[in-house]
Amino acid sequence: MSLALSNVTVTRGRNETRTAVFADLDAEFPAGKVTALVGPSGSGKSTLLAVAGALLRPDRGTVRLGDVDLAALNDAERARMRRTRIGYMFQSGNLLTALTATEQLLAAAYIAGHRPRRERRRAADALAAVGLGHRLGHRPDQLSGGERQRVALARALFLDPDLLLIDEPTAAVDRTLAADLADLISERTHATGCVTVVATHDPVVTAAADTELVCPGALSPRPAADTSATG
Amino acid sequence: MSYVGDATSPKQRSEGSTVFLALLEIRAARGRFLLMGSVVMLVAALVGIVSGFTTGLGNDTVSALRGLPATHFAFSADAKSDQFNRSLVDDRTLRAWRDRLGGDAAPVGVSITRGTTDRGVDIDLAAFGIEPGSFLAPPVSSGAPVGSSGGSSVGSSGDGVVISKKIADKGVRVGDTVTIDRFGITMRVAGITGARSYGHVPAAYLPLELWQRIRFAVPGADPGAEAPRQFSAVALRTGGADVSLAEMDAALGTKTVSREGAFEAAPGYSGERITMTSIQVFLFLIAPLVVGAFFSVWTVQRTPELALLRALGASRPRLLWHSTVQAAVVVAAGAACGGLVALGVGAALGDAVPFSLPASTLAATMAAVAGVGLAGTALTLRRVTSADPLTMLGAHR
Ligand SMILES: Nc1ncnc2c1ncn2[C@@H]1O[C@H](COP(=O)(O)OP(=O)(O)OP(=O)(O)O)[C@@H](O)[C@H]1O
Ligand SMILES: [Mg+2]
Repeated sequence: MSLALSNVTVTRGRNETRTAVFADLDAEFPAGKVTALVGPSGSGKSTLLAVAGALLRPDRGTVRLGDVDLAALNDAERARMRRTRIGYMFQSGNLLTALTATEQLLAAAYIAGHRPRRERRRAADALAAVGLGHRLGHRPDQLSGGERQRVALARALFLDPDLLLIDEPTAAVDRTLAADLADLISERTHATGCVTVVATHDPVVTAAADTELVCPGALSPRPAADTSATG
Repeated sequence: MSYVGDATSPKQRSEGSTVFLALLEIRAARGRFLLMGSVVMLVAALVGIVSGFTTGLGNDTVSALRGLPATHFAFSADAKSDQFNRSLVDDRTLRAWRDRLGGDAAPVGVSITRGTTDRGVDIDLAAFGIEPGSFLAPPVSSGAPVGSSGGSSVGSSGDGVVISKKIADKGVRVGDTVTIDRFGITMRVAGITGARSYGHVPAAYLPLELWQRIRFAVPGADPGAEAPRQFSAVALRTGGADVSLAEMDAALGTKTVSREGAFEAAPGYSGERITMTSIQVFLFLIAPLVVGAFFSVWTVQRTPELALLRALGASRPRLLWHSTVQAAVVVAAGAACGGLVALGVGAALGDAVPFSLPASTLAATMAAVAGVGLAGTALTLRRVTSADPLTMLGAHR
């Protein structure tokens, strides 16, 4: 099962801030492989992940995960896809302030309809895998920036998603840890056969990826409203 | 498979609950929730206390009327308010009703007076004049019924009166003689009935003739003089009887009101009701506004987290439920504690003041407070559902 975008056009913002990010984008992400999504800041990496992650509906085009077109789903169906099939690590703001590291993972399990009582052990193991076995009971304000990102990564991996979307996983961690996390992502991707897309600026992560895609998002310095007004 | 979007299926599961998260959020913000709970508690306690006084004062005002087993009272039509005091009807009216209802029509006279017992106890009493042996005669818990004489023979010619337990509590006993102040009319306590009062004055039940002598007495006149054969109203038990009250009223020049309607005739009753009810109305308006204000601030504050929950796949209905559970916990806990406070206040006040808060009233009142409090949060629910998961892309936390 792969992820295939075809003819995807995405505009973000309204009125003066209306920005055409992608126009007629075609891209394919194979299963069981890590694709590194690279490109300068503002090239649309996060936007592409949001489209793939059923958070953002493209204006046009199809976004096929297996045989489901995410672009054709309504709000409730997209929410269902997110909780059951997609693991997502955002660039920032991933954690719920009230919960401990373990509970962050259990929360995802709860939302997906699992029986969290059985998941507690698994959550501890998942946190140990990102090197946080000693921080299980810490809440976000008691974790460092890099530790918070690792909790978020552990949560994205926790429910064995079909689609794993990771935005800048190593922005706040040192080189050695970055390599470890990149290895963990590859290992899990190869083991579960999920489609993995990692947006990154980090050569360590790019080196560990199986393929690379330069994000083709529009970088026009002019507001898109100017061009779209004529077209 | 029948659900929409079949193709989303392989890992299809029913959506899980976030109640656990809702409770953890309360735990993490327990300071704020405690504060909010305390406000709800105080409002609930105040509602409970006011409700206790409403019932207590109401009982103090009309429990004697409530105790009369009549369904209606026929007053003279010219008495518009304070009817038991102002209305006078005569034997002609009584006979007309007796023709229709037989023993289910009985005269009743009500007036408030005061007296002193032969052992020097001053008492206020709401004198209810009734025909001994009529259906209005109160059951006695000790002693003999209204109209018994001496203690040897029970006859309608006696002057025995039955007093409310409240008068007995002041130290008046069966066998005491009460002299009505200024008129010098005397009567003998024959029996004691339950705690009943009228217009905050404890009730005493007198033979009708004795009542008429008191009602129509003139200070200094001969206490044995003949009094008019009139009384306040004809009490009726219409149960099942096929009579038109309106026709009877037209024919007899009376105004017949239901027993509950007659409560309005008790002095102070409507005034107390209006005061107490308006306090309660205001509290019931304050409760939802306070709770609503708290939850709208709370919701605005955690909009980013709601967006994250949405991004993780929680549906709008789940988040609504999530937020409602949080509100319900605070509001229900606050109302429950408030109810206990009201009970405590009631117990501390003791018998000294008219306060009555039966468990069923308390429960209903607290449920109402919790209900309106919860309704106050309805205003914030729109904000809950409008949390946008896409904001996660620009989140900076
Ligand atoms: N809500 C929005 N309204 C208007 N324009 C937006 C909005 N969000 C993003 N953009 C624009 O879309 C473009 C792509 O943004 P995106 O966040 O996808 O970039 P990125 O490649 O992830 O950048 P970075 O590497 O800095 O994270 C940017 O030029 C940005 O200004
Ligand atoms: Mg980005």
